[in-house]
Amino acid sequence: MTTAPIVELKDVAKRWNGQLGVEEISLDIPEGSFTALLGPSGCGKSTTLRLLAGLELPDEGKILIDGKDVTTSAASDRNLSMVFQSYALFPHLSVAENVVFGLKVRRVPKKERQEKLHRALEITGLLGYEDRKPGELSGGQRQRVALARAIVAGQRLCLMDEPLSNLDAKLRNSVRKDIKKLQRDLGITVIYVTHDQTEAMSMADTVVLMKDGHIQQVGTPDDLYSRPNNTFVAEFVGAPPMALLKSSILDGFGGDKTIGIRAENIQIVPKGEGRMRCTVNESEFLGAETLIGLDHEGTAGLCVLKPGLSMVAEGNEIDISFNDENLHVFDAAGQRLTG
Amino acid sequence: MKSLTKFMDSFGAILLAIIWIAPLLFAFWAATHSTSDAVNLNLLSPWTLENFRVAWSGAPWLKYFFNTFMLVTMILIGQFFLTTLAGFAFAQLQFPGKDFVFILVLMQLFILPEVLIVENYAMVSRLGLFDSILGVGMPYMASAFGIFLMRQAFKGVPIELHEAARIEGCGLLGILWRVYVPLAKPTYLAYALVSVSTHWNNFLWPLIVTNSPDTRPLTVGLSIFGAPENGVDISIISAATLMSVAPLLIAFLIFQRQFVQSFLRTGIK
Repeated sequence: MTTAPIVELKDVAKRWNGQLGVEEISLDIPEGSFTALLGPSGCGKSTTLRLLAGLELPDEGKILIDGKDVTTSAASDRNLSMVFQSYALFPHLSVAENVVFGLKVRRVPKKERQEKLHRALEITGLLGYEDRKPGELSGGQRQRVALARAIVAGQRLCLMDEPLSNLDAKLRNSVRKDIKKLQRDLGITVIYVTHDQTEAMSMADTVVLMKDGHIQQVGTPDDLYSRPNNTFVAEFVGAPPMALLKSSILDGFGGDKTIGIRAENIQIVPKGEGRMRCTVNESEFLGAETLIGLDHEGTAGLCVLKPGLSMVAEGNEIDISFNDENLHVFDAAGQRLTG
Repeated sequence: MKSLTKFMDSFGAILLAIIWIAPLLFAFWAATHSTSDAVNLNLLSPWTLENFRVAWSGAPWLKYFFNTFMLVTMILIGQFFLTTLAGFAFAQLQFPGKDFVFILVLMQLFILPEVLIVENYAMVSRLGLFDSILGVGMPYMASAFGIFLMRQAFKGVPIELHEAARIEGCGLLGILWRVYVPLAKPTYLAYALVSVSTHWNNFLWPLIVTNSPDTRPLTVGLSIFGAPENGVDISIISAATLMSVAPLLIAFLIFQRQFVQSFLRTGIK
């Protein structure tokens, strides 16, 4: 993907009187990519999306879409579509009228409208529901109507604001695949806001992890998982998240650093052969494996995975070991040191 | 004890209903009997439609009906137009002095229209609308109550719908017309019922500002028809009264449900 970026954000900032908005947001999003804005609630990911959509105007910085400066353009002039968390379907309009709402506003001829409607409903599997009102549809169907409305006009850029958060867990998995397939088939650029890292990691080509209005790391899901920029990313990404150890409890790392290690890189070894002796504080059976939480002075979130069902009683002591090459080293400020 | 309370409740309700409907029942009784029978309340006296014939030929009722119809329609259209725009501005737009202006509008609710009759009269005359249907309707078009009602209805519309319409390419008026107005339909219906019945029955202001049979609404026409100098005939006046209220009465019977709900919803007495 070497094409020119379809969306560029340059040092964008948005502040609400006193409250933190977003600061220094700079991003290049290539055409045809799937980008997830990920972060805990209140981190500014939705604000970033709304700035892109033109629902808010930035206090500083520039926004370019398709090479054009749209920093202060109206939402309707930005040639994008959006899927809202609540779907924002018009309750007084039928499914068909909802989907072609934008086409009608933009005075697309009726025949063309019908063709586009048919195609959008076909793609989203909604043929036969044209005359239903949103109130007569299930949550999943409503979600598909919102998707149909987003793709019907053929806009190349589609923004999605937590589109799956109102669906139950099972449906969420299948819709996740549907959205990903849709994006690939249509070749559109999707910018997707979510607080759920599973969604971000499984769907996106690029994940933008945010915290307190600042971007923490931009990269592929693998980058974020395997090479976290700082301790926040390390602790946010992955289930279970990376364990953090004070360097003072290990030899050879100095005293003021933080060491990160993932559960799958830790082995349980016979007593006396390990690098650390820990106390078990909980055992959680996950199905294919069992997650064993460990306590040790100077560590946070330390745990180890054992295959199958192998619960260990609370309070037992076990020895663990790990290789230095699997360790992530962060400096005193929490920034990554090694490659 | 509980059943006694229940009994008292129904008893009170029925009693109130009887007191309420008694004048109408008497008007119906008087209109369908000769004057002497009506006053004597002789239950066996013969029924007649003669009073309606006499009353009908006694005044230009068709013209009055037409005037009233034009009046309520004009007021309603004016109110819909103004309260929609003003309500939308107060509900969804940001402009300096918004709260202050809204308080001014609300203060209008505390002022009885009768207090302003002289000033309204002077204003309508200055505008050259004296003795015209538009002149009768004009002072009621920018209804504070309507503006408040619409503002509340528009405030209840989820902001995402507004934003979705914006992204789909709607301008501000487009959003108002395609999103807010359709969603406020029940409010419009309720408001229309209240407005029509109020202005159908309005008497004092039209009496003052109209001067000729060409502009008089029903209420004024009826009062002139029943004025003592024309000779008081209770049966004929009753017949004329029944004719005046008939359209509203029939409409009420048809829209009874919506009517009651509208009062419940909007909380007007």
